[in-house]
Amino acid sequence: MAATVLIVEDQMLIAWHLSDLVEGAGHRVLAIARDPAEAMEAASRHRLDFALMDIRLHGGTSGLEAARMLFECWGVRSIYISANLDPATRAQAEQLQALGFVGKPFLPAELIAAIERAVKAL
Amino acid sequence: MPDAPETILNVNDNEAGRYATTRILHRAGFKVIEAGTGGEALQIAREDLPPLVIIDIGLPDMSGIEVCRRLKADPVTASTMVLQMSATNIAVIDRVNSLSAGADSFLVEPVEPEELEAVSRALLRLHRSESALRRSLAERELLLKEVNHRVKNSLQLVLSMLSLQGHRFKEPETRELFTKAISRVTAIAAIHERLYQDADPLTVEMHTYLTGLCAELVRASGMEENAQASLQIEVEEMRLPTEHGVAVALVVNELVMNALKHAQPASGPAIISVRLMRHGTGQVRLTVADNGATPEQSSSEVTGLGTQLIRMLARQLNGTVGIDRADGTYAVHVTFPLQSPVSWRPPY
Repeated sequence: MAATVLIVEDQMLIAWHLSDLVEGAGHRVLAIARDPAEAMEAASRHRLDFALMDIRLHGGTSGLEAARMLFECWGVRSIYISANLDPATRAQAEQLQALGFVGKPFLPAELIAAIERAVKAL
Repeated sequence: MPDAPETILNVNDNEAGRYATTRILHRAGFKVIEAGTGGEALQIAREDLPPLVIIDIGLPDMSGIEVCRRLKADPVTASTMVLQMSATNIAVIDRVNSLSAGADSFLVEPVEPEELEAVSRALLRLHRSESALRRSLAERELLLKEVNHRVKNSLQLVLSMLSLQGHRFKEPETRELFTKAISRVTAIAAIHERLYQDADPLTVEMHTYLTGLCAELVRASGMEENAQASLQIEVEEMRLPTEHGVAVALVVNELVMNALKHAQPASGPAIISVRLMRHGTGQVRLTVADNGATPEQSSSEVTGLGTQLIRMLARQLNGTVGIDRADGTYAVHVTFPLQSPVSWRPPY
């Protein structure tokens, strides 16, 4: 099944790389958002299966906050991709029914495996 | 001296005794809060966080020693200084017990006002320098976390940049060169994702590290696992010092990359095995083998830069390289001494 994906990442090069990998795995990237506001805007325009969520976003905003709004308003869950997945961050993400965690720097194979697990869990 | 008067919690069920102590402390310029029981004292200590608590040893609900023990055991109040006081001339063993329970000092009454004031000031001074140290340590930890975050993020940017560039080449040779470069950088970068969340950041657990890298090599090669190529990974439970871990990973990277490209058995999928096991006393042996060799030729032999890299990395490991050819199998092994890693433990 081809899933529809939102990428929430403030570093455009990494977002672009993620987008290449998601599409290479046969899924569709509908938007790239840099902060919670852009993520919500994208969610209002597209029907999303899930989001790839960075934890630290543009202008000091939080990916956990973006994930919470996506989850509460639209029921969209996230795979978290961050250079700092400490236990506190994981615990907060778990409350939003996290679909998975991938540490940075990520191995593309691990990212794709996490996406495939998420697609099955949806 | 700080501007605001420092607060001392004075715990004593005997009103006259409590009053006398409070009076001395007031005169010395301290702010004093009072408690008559151990329970009350614990509650106030938790809420108001006074830097110093003076506790009479005999309280109605629990002993002063027990109050002290609970204060020191509770993370919220553990840094509170405790001065244990006794109105009676108690046995030495009780004074020892008090200090063992975590009391920072002990006074026997009757006590001279000057002595009570001087001991209180000494304990408050100690509390201030301990707090300053704790703050500075917390700042350092935050800074370290921030630096780690940036290192990992920068490595991610390097990998993303290389991948974006690599996808845009059409010529197979250029593409392959880029894929190799990315794979080598990935092996080095991937260790950082596994280091800092671990209890021991100076060593790396080899099993998850190598398993992840091998899965990525199969993906990047475009071969589907179980169909064209089957990878068998057997890594004994071991942690290696980071620099050895990276060297081993880079050797695995060269050999597996090469085997995925060249191993073409007469029938069935290519079977590539990666083993990292203890070997003899104090040695470790890495073996990468494939079923691609024929008696006449070893098509999966590594050539060029790969060979040089393996030789240099083996030297860095103080190890030796060996090659076995038997029954259609081509195996390269690197044997090196297992250096007992310098373990790192949090200093608290």
